[in-house]
Amino acid sequence: MNYLSQVLSMKHAHQDADTPLIYLNNAATTWPKPPEVLAEVARCLETPVFEHGRSTAGGATDYPSATREALAVFFHADEPDHFIFTQSATDSLNLLIHGFVKNQKTQFHTITTELEHNSVLRPLYTLEGEGRLTLSILPFSDDRVSLPEIKKAIQPDTRLIVMTHGSNVLGSLQNVRPVAEYCASNDIFLIVDAAQTAGQIPINLSEIPAGAFVFTGHKALFGLPGTGGFWVQDMEAVATTRQGGTGSDSQARAHPQDLPQKFEAGTPNYPGIASLLAGIRYIERQGQDAITNKCRGLTALFTSELRKDPGVSLYTPSPDLPVVSFNIGGLDNDEAGFILAKAYNIITRTGLHCAPLVHDRIDGGKGCVRVSFSHFTTPEECRTAAAAIREVAESADPEVRADKGLR
Amino acid sequence: MRILKSVQTKVCVDGSLMKEYVLDEPLTEGFLKFLEQFGTIRRFEQLKKPYISFEKEHFITIKGFTGDCNVEVRYKKEFQDLVADYFHLLLFYEREGGPGISRLQGIENTIREKMKIRLDSAERRGT
Repeated sequence: MNYLSQVLSMKHAHQDADTPLIYLNNAATTWPKPPEVLAEVARCLETPVFEHGRSTAGGATDYPSATREALAVFFHADEPDHFIFTQSATDSLNLLIHGFVKNQKTQFHTITTELEHNSVLRPLYTLEGEGRLTLSILPFSDDRVSLPEIKKAIQPDTRLIVMTHGSNVLGSLQNVRPVAEYCASNDIFLIVDAAQTAGQIPINLSEIPAGAFVFTGHKALFGLPGTGGFWVQDMEAVATTRQGGTGSDSQARAHPQDLPQKFEAGTPNYPGIASLLAGIRYIERQGQDAITNKCRGLTALFTSELRKDPGVSLYTPSPDLPVVSFNIGGLDNDEAGFILAKAYNIITRTGLHCAPLVHDRIDGGKGCVRVSFSHFTTPEECRTAAAAIREVAESADPEVRADKGLR
Repeated sequence: MRILKSVQTKVCVDGSLMKEYVLDEPLTEGFLKFLEQFGTIRRFEQLKKPYISFEKEHFITIKGFTGDCNVEVRYKKEFQDLVADYFHLLLFYEREGGPGISRLQGIENTIREKMKIRLDSAERRGT
């Protein structure tokens, strides 16, 4: 069976006879995964665990070390050991934010944006509530937060900025490089949340002097859920908030302070890390630019099909990332998602997408429907989904029906 | 109509509880007529599958397709405990025909009384 056949057979296994399943929830978790990801996970589980310090088994792949090296090459970073594995982007953000705050002796000022996910907002709200920091949340304009706006919000005690690289609702890409350069020269620790961009667009960490860069494994990097991590430039900037076994320096009462052990306590998620390694290899084999361009093409095709439909409100007519959010007149987002799933077998995500402040701005906090594509989405699936959405909109909105003489 | 099984339960964004049920027969016109006595029915007949929704403020919403045995029922967050049986009551009293309407309205009044007591109490506490 050739490669494309394997992927298609994975999709067909989930299709009923009448209506093919169209999975458009890739911004939450990509599906299907490349066949080599599943194969690597199986290979990992079929062999004894091997990692320096944790096993005497030889011959097998040291997945954590191999994946750190792959990540360093993939993101153009010099030191593989500065890549830390976690369970998710949320886990990474918690470790970094709480770890940075633990290192600060006094209350300080932090900046974040309305575009953020709750994985950023909730740790910051928690620490604000505990009096550990003061918080400014910057509004977005034209789907972005720019460096001049950030500079206006800087206070003498600003020590931390946490911002997304790409909005999970609007699909807008943030220009983090100038923000990182500004932070680097002003002693401000910048955490970039790249949950939506890692694996989706080319990222060169040697050109983005951020304090830390957070990724998740289960989205565009094609790994399993339960995988994620971060890259940290200066390990002294963040205190460790977890202690435990590292397979090294075991007589010491204090947790090791070398990387990566400083932030990794306990047995790693070997199968998950193996999936991440295979996911990165898949992207490298396809070419990151090719994946980026294909997804941009799908997004342009989909939005062009819907842009002129009076029953559909697109919140970003031309998103940078393959994420398209909309509402259908006459239906709440939950109903629209329900109809698309049950009547058309099209899987979307509805609601607030864990980004409540974005929704406060764009839809009064009521939420919307989001579709998101991956490298495995086909143009035909985009056309079919757009046609289904238009059909639902025509049926649901009395004004659209009236305009077309349908009642 | 009777519930054969509950296939999915989840807590929604707004805190409401969603349960998906499989009924022993597709949604009937008779049941939809019965529902009209208790809340607002919206019908989208032009869709690929004719969609219906039922909304009863502070109680529940029902989503489904005419001719389909699966329904999604949402129990509003504020009074989840008071309305947990409401969908079952709708199914039960629909089977009684006309007399079922007034009996269920009586039960509904009792539930509303409890809601009012709870709201008054919350107001007194300033929450």
